[in-house]
Formats: sequence, structure tokens, C-alpha cells
Amino acid sequence: MIPAAVLNEWYPVAMIAQLAAWPGRQTLLLGSEINVFRDAAGAVVVQGADGPLAVTLAYGHVWACPGVPAHPLFPIPEADQPGRRLVDCGVVRVKCSPLRAVENFLDIAHFPFVHTDVLGAEPHTEVGRYEVQIREDSDEVWATKVHFYQPQAAKSAAGGIVTEYMYRVAAPTASVLYKTCPNNADEWDVIAIFVQPLTEELCEVWPWMALFDDTTPQADLIQFQQMIFLQDRSILENQIPRLLPLDPGKEIPTQADLTSIAYRRWLKRKGLTYGAQMVAA
Amino acid sequence: MWVANGLSQDLPSGVVMAGNWQGAELAIWRSVSGRLAAWGDRCPHRGMRLSHGFVRGETLSCIYHGWTYGSDGACSKIPAHPTMVPPAAIKAEVYQCVEADGVIWVGPAGPEADLPDLSGMVAVRSVSVLGDVAALTRALPGFVADGALWRGQVGGVSVSLVVQARGAGLGLHALCGAAAHRVAVSRWLDGVVQLVEQEALT
Ligand code: FES
Ligand SMILES: [Fe+2]
Repeated sequence: MIPAAVLNEWYPVAMIAQLAAWPGRQTLLLGSEINVFRDAAGAVVVQGADGPLAVTLAYGHVWACPGVPAHPLFPIPEADQPGRRLVDCGVVRVKCSPLRAVENFLDIAHFPFVHTDVLGAEPHTEVGRYEVQIREDSDEVWATKVHFYQPQAAKSAAGGIVTEYMYRVAAPTASVLYKTCPNNADEWDVIAIFVQPLTEELCEVWPWMALFDDTTPQADLIQFQQMIFLQDRSILENQIPRLLPLDPGKEIPTQADLTSIAYRRWLKRKGLTYGAQMVAA
Repeated sequence: MWVANGLSQDLPSGVVMAGNWQGAELAIWRSVSGRLAAWGDRCPHRGMRLSHGFVRGETLSCIYHGWTYGSDGACSKIPAHPTMVPPAAIKAEVYQCVEADGVIWVGPAGPEADLPDLSGMVAVRSVSVLGDVAALTRALPGFVADGALWRGQVGGVSVSLVVQARGAGLGLHALCGAAAHRVAVSRWLDGVVQLVEQEALT
């Protein structure tokens, strides 16, 4: 039995640009078969075994709720900001818990080891203190004042620079990061991952970006994100246990893991246990 | 119980490989100075397989966040907090790991005297085969099994196969009585793999 709290959330199920007529995209959501397609009138339908699901279109993607939506889909105000380029990056299928995929996205300490010489490099491995909160008004997890040294933050830069990040968990399987923008000092680049939970141990990850960048070719942006996510996949498919532990068990977090701790606590408090394990093991 | 996890020659200094002991998955590695260690294949930080890690000097580091462990399994470095001394509680799960007569053995604990006697034998090669012990028995008439150790004759030379359960198949670690026969025994082993995989289908 999947808890109602899980069923009443929004999940990404397709990229709008790729929609087709019936049978459209045949896929799984929370272990159940669905079809995502355009009907004869051009409307987007997400068809489950028991009928159509609630649908929202946003951020280049189709979002579906298999239960009764507990709230509208989270906002990303930057999506409507003039001058931003919205980039769909396709999809990466990963044999891991959807929650592990989100947790990895929130993690910076792995940059020097998994994204070596791109997002991080030894000996610049230190993760300084940052702030984490569960915001009661929006019911989101936020990490702010995250700083990290990056060797190749911009292609033109001769040396590395310290990049500032903010992370936001906006839905159980969706996260948005804000990153200092090399082309616009007053703005943040926005990079999100939307994770479709196919099953508790299988997901599809849709990266999506809203950038101030008129020059880099679209193909290069997509290829860069794909490379990063393929590196992450080699980690995500090799973590034990497969499900995300919500209770302290054999895993030992440190101060650098405060976002992960808050994310797990938030999931547990809300009963969002699909892809998680409650018993320490 | 001791379980063979490969031949010494397959694990050079500075290398880590996956292994197992009675269903437990392991990371087995050799330091640059040659020290051997076998640990549970799970980093105490966030569960990444340590067999995907990297060896530097006398330490093994996890590939995810670079937590670094010494041969005794204790964590000596957490790169995210370079000035912090890791608490003693952060430790890999250590198994006993020894090598004798060119074979790497893993056990929970216990006297090395219980290791099968392979003195006088020289290592040939390890192979993986998709099949079970029943198929191996049919493929190797004339061989006598004593636990995981199978002995027989091939072309006038004595051959020992140390058998290791490996997922859906078996690892066969072959040794023979005379170095001059290694090539011939290695070729024979290829035939055994084919036979076992045919037997496993029938
Ligand atoms: S999981 Fe091994 S260092 Fe983080
Ligand atoms: Fe990553």
C-alpha cells in the first residue's frame, strides 16, 4: 500500500516537447503503468489503470498526481523571468531510489571525487558551514550560504573560483539549485532535477535549467549536464542499501551532510516513504 | 570458513576488487607496500561500494566523498572537514584476509592452520563461469572435491581448483603442480568453462 501522503504529491512524467498522440509515452509512476499523451483536442492526458490523473504543465514538463493534490505544484518564479534561457536536458534512467537521486543532487562534498576537475578538485575539498532550514511557510527544505571552490566555473577563467549555491527541495522528488551566475553578478543560474519515481528502486531524472547564457550552444549545455549526471549515476547505482534510510542506522553523517539530514527528516515527518526504508539496516 | 577470492597475481599493489564471503559483499585491496585487506563493501558514510574506491599509499578512499581508511579499517581522513580528526567509531567492517600458496583467502576470524594445503602448487589463472556445483561435477569426472577444493589430474599433472560461489555462477581459481604446465592447464580451463556452461543449460 502506497501512503496517501505519497499519492497526493506531484511527479514529473514526461517532457512537454516530446508528447505524442496515444499511446504516447508508456511509463511507470510509483509502480503503476501510465500513458502520457495528447488527445485529439491537443490536451495532455496522463492515463492510469483507474482513469486520468490530475495534470499540471510547468517548466517544460508534464506533472501528474495519482491521488488528490495536497497543494498546487511548487513555483519556480525564475521560469518566467525575462532574459532567461530555459533548457530541457533530456532524461537519464538510474537504477536507484528516486530519493537517493535527489539526495545526491543536494550534495556538494562529492564534487572533487565524482566530478573531478569540473565541479571540484583536490585539495579544495572543504565544505564550510552553511545554513539549512525547513521553511514552514512553503514547506520546503532550503540550504543557503553554501560555498565551494570550482576549478572550471567558467571556460574563460584561468583559475578556479568560489561559487555560491542555494539548494531547495520543493517536492519529494524535485529539487532546484541556485548558483552564482558567471554572466550576471546580480542573478542566480537555476538548475533543477525533476525525478520520476518509476518504482522504489528505479527512476528517471530530468535535468532542467533556466540560465542567463545567450552564447553557449544548446547542445553543449545539454552535453555538459548529461556528463555530470552519468558520473552521478555510477555512484547512485552502487549505494547500499538501495532504499534511502530515514532512520539513523549504519550511516554516519557529518556537518557537510546537513542538507541530507534535513531532507530525510522532512520526508519522514511528511510520511513520504516511497523509496525509503524506515528500519535501520 | 575460509573462502577463496582470487589468486594473488590478480590483485597487484594499489588495486581494489570486489569479493564475497558467504553472501556478504566485500572490497578486497592491496596497499602500495603490498598489505592485503578485505572489508564489507559499504562505506560507513553513505553506503557507497568501497570496491569502486581508489588506493593511495597505505589507504583506501571511497570514490563518493573521498573518506579515507587505513589498513585497520579506521577512517583517517574526511576531505569535507580537512582539520577534523575522524571519530574512532568510523570504521569499515573488517574481515580476515590472508594469502597462501598464491591464493587470497577471506574468513571471519580463525587460525590460518585451517587453510587448505596447496603447497607445491603454482597459480595458473582465475575464471568466472555461469553454472553451479552440479554442472561442475558433471564437467569434471575424475576430480575429487573436498569442500571448496577440487583435485585431479590433467595431462599427467596434478591440478587444484578452488571454487568460489559468485552471484549466479562460480569463480574457479586454478593451480597446477608444475610451472611448465601452466599454459596447457590454462587452455584446459577454457574447455572446462565451456563444458560447465553447456551442462548448466541441460
Ligand atoms: S559514501 Fe563513502 S565517502 Fe561518502
Ligand atoms: Fe553529482
